[in-house]
Amino acid sequence: MTRSPFLRNGLVQVAPLLLCLVAWEVLARIFGSTHAVMPPVSTILLGIFADGNTLLRSFGRTLAETVLGFVPAAAFGFIAGALFARVRIAERMFFPLFLISQTVPVVAFGALVIIWFGNGIMSKVAIAFYLTFFPVTVNTLRGLRAVDQDKINLLKSFGASAWMLFWRLEVPHALPGIMAALLLGVSLSLVGAIVGEWFGATVGLGIVLVQAMYAEDMVRLWGAILLCGILGSTLYGLVAFAARRWVWWGGEI
Amino acid sequence: MPALAFNVPTGVQPEVVAGGSHAAACGASVEPAAGNPPIIVLESVSKTFDAHGHRVVAIDGVDLRVDEGEFVALIGPSGCGKSTLFNIVAGLQDADSGGTIRFGGERRKSTELLGKVSFMPQRDLLFPWRRVIDNVILALEVEGMSRSDARARALPMFAGFGLSGFERHYPNQLSGGMRQRVALMRTFLFERPLMLLDEPFGALDSLTRAMMQRWLLDVWQLHRRTVLFITHDIDEAIFLGDRVVVMTARPGRMKLSVEVGIERPRHADIRTSAAFLEIRKTLLAAIEEESMKSFLSESV
Repeated sequence: MTRSPFLRNGLVQVAPLLLCLVAWEVLARIFGSTHAVMPPVSTILLGIFADGNTLLRSFGRTLAETVLGFVPAAAFGFIAGALFARVRIAERMFFPLFLISQTVPVVAFGALVIIWFGNGIMSKVAIAFYLTFFPVTVNTLRGLRAVDQDKINLLKSFGASAWMLFWRLEVPHALPGIMAALLLGVSLSLVGAIVGEWFGATVGLGIVLVQAMYAEDMVRLWGAILLCGILGSTLYGLVAFAARRWVWWGGEI
Repeated sequence: MPALAFNVPTGVQPEVVAGGSHAAACGASVEPAAGNPPIIVLESVSKTFDAHGHRVVAIDGVDLRVDEGEFVALIGPSGCGKSTLFNIVAGLQDADSGGTIRFGGERRKSTELLGKVSFMPQRDLLFPWRRVIDNVILALEVEGMSRSDARARALPMFAGFGLSGFERHYPNQLSGGMRQRVALMRTFLFERPLMLLDEPFGALDSLTRAMMQRWLLDVWQLHRRTVLFITHDIDEAIFLGDRVVVMTARPGRMKLSVEVGIERPRHADIRTSAAFLEIRKTLLAAIEEESMKSFLSESV
């Protein structure tokens, strides 16, 4: 008997991943004799451990950039969305600007951001921020607007103020959509941080990637890719966990 | 215009009211509660909408009166403006100028009724993110009571509403009948002089509905509130009401007001009693006539 459905689900989901890794290892050993094409998993993992210190620092740096961009972007996105939902003229005036800002690909801004913010952490934070706030704004706006009028009337009949309506009804109603935007946003923040590092930085996984590319160091390159994947899936997993734990009523609305 | 009142030996007092008649007509023969003014009186209240350029008269000169402690059931053919009337009495919509609304003896605008009437729309409107207990105390919380005080006040009521043991459940864990009881409990906890219920059992299957009606009477007996109950179910109206009011087809106005003289507490078997059937016959005739009118006007 399996002990818990949680464990069994975990197994079902992890098994294919393990299978892929094994296949990778075997195929790389059979065909890709030279590391120049595709090093086996074991070699990559050993490479990561050998280079532990540098990679750990890079990992920590990219993590910091991602989180420092993501959190204020989530807050800003929410506040902007809430403002647009409440003040129609603000939406009419500023939403188009938000939209236009997002039509310019972030790479086009890269150089500019480095010149403005320097090649320290701030420039990456800025790019991560830029990529993240917009989906949060859109989903906040949409969620706050979509509240059932009958529920609003009910609360009003109880004598609820606009403030109460907002916090007790509109925000909880919008939260599932906002969480969906945060899931997207956390991945985008990571992309922003890595791309930001390409334009100019001294540490970070993006830098490791670029350096490995120029050195054609396949083991290191794959090591950095793997770490980016681990970073991305961990952050995504955390947000997804929070969404499932605290904002589970999306299907009910 | 005068009201024609018949005295029927069975205790049925039908009262025919011609459309657009003025105030005192409807319910005039009902003896008022000693001394106290009626909870609510509508006198020739109308509501006209503008739908894509044409004027639609939803209700046209409605007269209605509900006395303190009375349970009035309102029935009418579909599309007769019941929900417009609901919105006006709930204070969600303004009536056309011309009519008068008195609430507790004082003249009010419809929108001033918002917050004075505890209403329950057809859908339960529970908040999925709140536990049952926190759903029912919503009104108390909005009024500024602390959550713990509000919970303490609500907890003893759970047994009476058949919800013991479900205090900490979420609405999605409850059946339709239970959700409806939660919504009713929320309405009861918002203590106002008038409770306005709009087909609260409309979405339930007939067995559950019959159980809920008996249960509602028990709860009502206990808490003694003034109720205006909107429904399209004649049996439900007679079973629950002290008085049944019938609306005409659109544009809605009052057609008939029938006193249900059946003693309380009422049991399920009164549905087959002679008195019940007598009233049913009167109401059915009135409703059929109106339904036919609205059917014919739609098919033109």
